[in-house]
Amino acid sequence: MRLRNWPAVMGLVVSACLFAGCYVIRPSSGAGQSSFKGPRIVRADDIAVAKGFQIEPVVTGLTFPTGVTFDADGRIYVVESGYAYGEVWTKPRLLRLEHNGRLTEVAAGQTNGPWTGATFHEGAFYVAEGGEMEGGRILRITPDGRVTVLVGKLPSMGDHHSNGPVIGPDGWLYFGQGTVSNSGVVGEDNAQFGWLKRHPQFHDIPGQDITLAGQNFTSSDPVHGKGKAVTGAFLPFGTASTKNQVIKGAVPCSGSVMRIRPEGGPPELVAWGFRNPFGLAFSPGGRLYVTDNGYDERGSRPIWGAANVLWAVDKGVWYGWPDFSAGMPLNRKHFKAPRKKQPQFLLASHPNRPPDPIALFAVHSSADGLDFSRSGQFGYVGDAFVALFGDEAPSVGKVLHPVGAKVVRVDVRNGLIEEFAVNKGRQSGPASKIGGHGLERPVAARFNRAGDALYVVDFGVMKQSKKEAQPQQGTGVLWRIIRER
Amino acid sequence: MANYQGTLNRQSMRAKVSKAFLVLLLSILAAVQLACRSVRRGEPIVGPLASSDPQVNRGHVVFQQNCYKCHPGGEGGLGPALNDKLLPTFLMKKQVRVGMGTMPSFHKPDIPPDELDALMKYLIAVRRHNRPMSNR
Repeated sequence: MRLRNWPAVMGLVVSACLFAGCYVIRPSSGAGQSSFKGPRIVRADDIAVAKGFQIEPVVTGLTFPTGVTFDADGRIYVVESGYAYGEVWTKPRLLRLEHNGRLTEVAAGQTNGPWTGATFHEGAFYVAEGGEMEGGRILRITPDGRVTVLVGKLPSMGDHHSNGPVIGPDGWLYFGQGTVSNSGVVGEDNAQFGWLKRHPQFHDIPGQDITLAGQNFTSSDPVHGKGKAVTGAFLPFGTASTKNQVIKGAVPCSGSVMRIRPEGGPPELVAWGFRNPFGLAFSPGGRLYVTDNGYDERGSRPIWGAANVLWAVDKGVWYGWPDFSAGMPLNRKHFKAPRKKQPQFLLASHPNRPPDPIALFAVHSSADGLDFSRSGQFGYVGDAFVALFGDEAPSVGKVLHPVGAKVVRVDVRNGLIEEFAVNKGRQSGPASKIGGHGLERPVAARFNRAGDALYVVDFGVMKQSKKEAQPQQGTGVLWRIIRER
Repeated sequence: MANYQGTLNRQSMRAKVSKAFLVLLLSILAAVQLACRSVRRGEPIVGPLASSDPQVNRGHVVFQQNCYKCHPGGEGGLGPALNDKLLPTFLMKKQVRVGMGTMPSFHKPDIPPDELDALMKYLIAVRRHNRPMSNR
């Protein structure tokens, strides 16, 4: 059969090529690639929320807020992290919001942030101190500000930190521990993060003994400032591996969920093989879920097209890092970055087949804090509400359009994700990028004790140059989403 | 007579080429215009896509598992937006099976034929679900 309208078809094909492809030649246009100049103006009308809900600002002018919690009387407490990518150090703090709108400092930390979250349990606060300088810690803070270290020296001085914590139905305190490197190999990208020269011997630690495939990666040497370095997986920068080399497992370890007793004691391993389990929450049914930030396209072993993941956590299971993404093996073409080598397995054998994920978030969306709705007053009981911080392109890899910068709702029965609170405009993205004065970087989502209000912590403006993150102090906001009055 | 016939043939050929060029140009312009349509399909913007067609709902799950991470909600992200593209179904199917540029291919074991059909139904339903709630 002759195709009579072949010019029309050709036109469509050409247009499809022009507009649907061209990833390689188009520039990156990420969430932080903006020309924002402060101060930040906040306007709830610039945010669209699902029908039947409204959003309002509660507190503005915060610096690098990362968490919110509530005491037994329902009073609101906000965590300011004290550290942001781009190596910006401020004071980590736990703040109480008073009835008159003022903030009272309950406790403060030293230069060992970021404080990544807090929870309240039986009269005290429990805070995850990320530990970029001295290692991660879980802190117990009384309402009058006395700080006790429950566990320290967590492997947090790298790319990712200690996260959470959250109290389980069993009374244990669960927290996440991110990995040191992007995908198992320390490289030049870790010098850009800032920690490699501080801790040149630091590397990822597996949760159990592993056997390496013996892959090594050559890079320039930012530690010595000249020459090349050859580095293997789970080893210090500049240390090569050999085939079938065994790396001993240990607890605490990288890329894991661990738990401790609230009264203190050694950490126990719950599960490992995550990359950065940032958000932790228990569902109404008592199951632990975590959000896990996916691989970036950077460093000695760049990984392309890796989703952020929502996992249901089962004890004793390995979740795939550094050889799988959301249950898919990294030696598939899907994960080969343009103009880069196809990733191969770092491990000679794997502890188990990774589980299937509950849901897949967008690549580079940075799925962070989450909570489950428990109240019919709010609705969507059993669904997870997840804060998507948004991409940090181009340092994590290129994106064609901003990703994240919104709050989404996840039906954990089928993995379907729906937007819940997003900025209005022609495209998604933070207000500093797309215009308006709505959301910037949602980083935590937590229901109040009554369950009728969802509090969203907005980290504030995070710009991104080619080389580094440029977080803007004093631009953080605490939002509240409730049923329409 | 032969010259006259030759002249007629050349005129006919020129007319055909002009017509083909015009169709090609109009196609490109139409595609450009359509590419400027809104890509937003999120619930807060256009309301939920409540479909009674089980194939559309099945396609939604297929999209979520395979396509969402690069085309979140059909908007752009790592990959380009889909919601504003008026590609015919057969071309979309071809692109899924073969890939294009940096987009990987999804073969039958990845997305079986019946799931691919459901995916197409879902994409078309989303494409049509484009009236902002603020305009109603």
